[in-house]
Amino acid sequence: MAAKKLKRDHVRRWLIQIFFFLLFILFFIQTKYGLDVNFQNIFFRFDPLILVVISIANRTVVTAALLSILIIVGTLIFGRFFCGFICPMGTTIDIFDSVIRSKKERKFSLKNYKYLILLFLVVSALVGSSFLHFFDPLSILERSFTLILYPIISYFIGIFTALAPAVYTETIIVLIVFAIILCLGFIAPRFWCRNLCPLGGFFALLSKFSLFKTSFIEGCNECGICEGVCPTGAINFEEAKIDSAECIDCLRCQHECPQSVIRYRMNISIVPFDIKRRQFITSIGAGLAAAPLSRFLIHPRLFGRLIRPPGSIPEADFLNVCIHCGKCMKVCPTNGLQPCIFEAGINGLWTPRLVSVIGGCEKNCNMCGQVCPTSAIRNLPLEEKTYVKIGTAVIDRNRCIAWEQDKVCLICDEACSYNAISSLNETVRGTTLLRPFVDEKICTGCGLCEARCPIEGPAAIQVFPIGEERQRTGSYITEEKKRLRACEKKLEDIPSGFILDNK
Amino acid sequence: MNRITRRDFLRISAGIAVASLLPRFLFSTEKEEITGPVIGVAHGEKSKLVKSAVDAIGGIDKFIKEGDKVCIKPNISFAANVDCGATTSPEVIKQVVELCLDAGASKVIILDHTIQEAKLCVEKSRVKEAIIDKKRVSLLTLTKERQFTESKVTQGRELKSIKIAKAILSADKLINIPTAKSHSATGVSLGIKNLMGLIWDRGYLHRVNLHRAIAELATVIKPDLTIIDATKALTSGGPGGPGKTVKLNIVIAGADVVAVDSFAVGITQWYDKSFTGKNVKYIVEASKLGLGEIDTGKMQIIKVEV
Repeated sequence: MAAKKLKRDHVRRWLIQIFFFLLFILFFIQTKYGLDVNFQNIFFRFDPLILVVISIANRTVVTAALLSILIIVGTLIFGRFFCGFICPMGTTIDIFDSVIRSKKERKFSLKNYKYLILLFLVVSALVGSSFLHFFDPLSILERSFTLILYPIISYFIGIFTALAPAVYTETIIVLIVFAIILCLGFIAPRFWCRNLCPLGGFFALLSKFSLFKTSFIEGCNECGICEGVCPTGAINFEEAKIDSAECIDCLRCQHECPQSVIRYRMNISIVPFDIKRRQFITSIGAGLAAAPLSRFLIHPRLFGRLIRPPGSIPEADFLNVCIHCGKCMKVCPTNGLQPCIFEAGINGLWTPRLVSVIGGCEKNCNMCGQVCPTSAIRNLPLEEKTYVKIGTAVIDRNRCIAWEQDKVCLICDEACSYNAISSLNETVRGTTLLRPFVDEKICTGCGLCEARCPIEGPAAIQVFPIGEERQRTGSYITEEKKRLRACEKKLEDIPSGFILDNK
Repeated sequence: MNRITRRDFLRISAGIAVASLLPRFLFSTEKEEITGPVIGVAHGEKSKLVKSAVDAIGGIDKFIKEGDKVCIKPNISFAANVDCGATTSPEVIKQVVELCLDAGASKVIILDHTIQEAKLCVEKSRVKEAIIDKKRVSLLTLTKERQFTESKVTQGRELKSIKIAKAILSADKLINIPTAKSHSATGVSLGIKNLMGLIWDRGYLHRVNLHRAIAELATVIKPDLTIIDATKALTSGGPGGPGKTVKLNIVIAGADVVAVDSFAVGITQWYDKSFTGKNVKYIVEASKLGLGEIDTGKMQIIKVEV
């Protein structure tokens, strides 16, 4: 009877977990160009860590994540149910753990570290830098899916269809981080969730006060079965205590207990902390030091051009608000959005940057802003997005074959969606021919020209973040820009494809 | 039995000679000397243009046989709005597909190697509206090198060999349906220029003598029928737009791609100037290569008003 019930409960939890996991994967797959419904980032909207840490770091409430208050309230009532039932990272770890059949239980606990990491995140956010992306499980999972799984899957799909496989410039660090998190399962099941995850830490903190808790009633004969089945090591049967901060409400102990002395019930009590003062102070110290260190360890200007996607908020805010989840890179139809390595400093690792050599920013697409869960890239209407200047194209006349070799190339003019490149007759070394010129007032820096420049090596037309516009609020459309765009292209010479009659 | 006398014979012969020469003196026309390519030009109601133009040159059955596998090459290279004129209008593509299916084509493949991102081009050009029969009509965006195969250009000076789409090699017929638009490098982009969407490395053509290379391309890829969509023409700012778009409501059809192009140059002004086919370098090069007739005076132009 007990075994049967256990099985049913176990299956029920698995089904719920798999349901949310599949939902996460569905939203991941649906993060693609062409969908106007803005639901792909729903998981992030329920992530209270985003609400807390980013709101503090950015000194503004992240309205998109306000839904996570529901989870906070739920945790205050029911305990740490998110970790056991919903968290897709938890499910991924569960799946991996069951594959490696990790049953070992080491008698040491690092469970306080998750509070320390949480404290570190909050302190560094107070100082003005968010390090959330390194630790938030949803962000880690989404990023790993996008940068590792997606290129692999799209490669195989590409074998059978015309789909161009996605490529990303920086995946190795993501892979290592993800592999480490999974391999922690060799030490103990759910090692990450129990010891390191700051989101788990946040829920653990809340569930210390939760209304419902799993706890012992009178009559325990200290058989120890419950401690053996607990997946999070929350039970100490000798003292008949269940640490509600560690308990993920899976109810296995309740159904496994031969004496039926474990109950999930209303229990108003507060579980005390046992964090050492030294650890506490170290964590605060690390938080205080990390913010300034991350800015000076690697200077952003050391590494190449940094072109942010259109609608990105000002850089200092961007680094705090972006959770580096990689959704924008997944959705970008040209594959031009790539993860930064050190172009934006240490804390800019995995933030999106437009690498025009791989793909430009298409005029008719504003998907990156649509899927961004924290509005680090603002969700601009399509028309407004076309007015955002993210940089300016610059022609290298020494390498351009129209300038240097008198070729009728002009592909950049052809590729420009904004008529910002004019082909004008210009005499060079005695030869008069059409040569490309960039009108920097009209150029938006979309990089479509750079993507198509046919010469070998680096393109002869490159986008630099000259004149880039980053606004937290307000419209990018101005009367001046409208006027410039409306006026007919005055600077246009007759293409050299025509043989002109000398009239 | 009447025997023809010598006198009778001479009289009759003279009569015939005079009779045959008379029209020359009476009407003094040179129409009969025109033996050049036939071109159908339809103007008017959008929904009938393609059929009228094709009927003028002998009807679709002349080009498509029962059971043929047909490739259709529209220009959907840019993710521009259909009103802009940078892409072949979906109505025209659809009409061509209908014609092919009516003629009994077993398979119709609409294909292009787009310049901008394929997904966006497909969406913006609304080309999917032309897929009226999912079993027989399909859309193929050429995005990968392995969809192309190396092909020798025997008449080539600029091109020795070029990678062209495998799909057109395995098809029985190729119908070329460009849109009439201006082009920043070649002046205009019409039928021959549209063939650049069937090769892998377009950039290479820009690195050599572009005009000649486009003409040489037409020696390798030979469309069986070219139908130019001039329902609207992007007369400046091409090939991607935005620019000046003129509504013409014209469709031009013909088997000779050079002739069709040459005629199409004259139907409107480009960059606010008038040109003829002889003013466009790549058309001149193509005619030099013997690919078709460039002189509109030598073409049989059949104009239809619908």
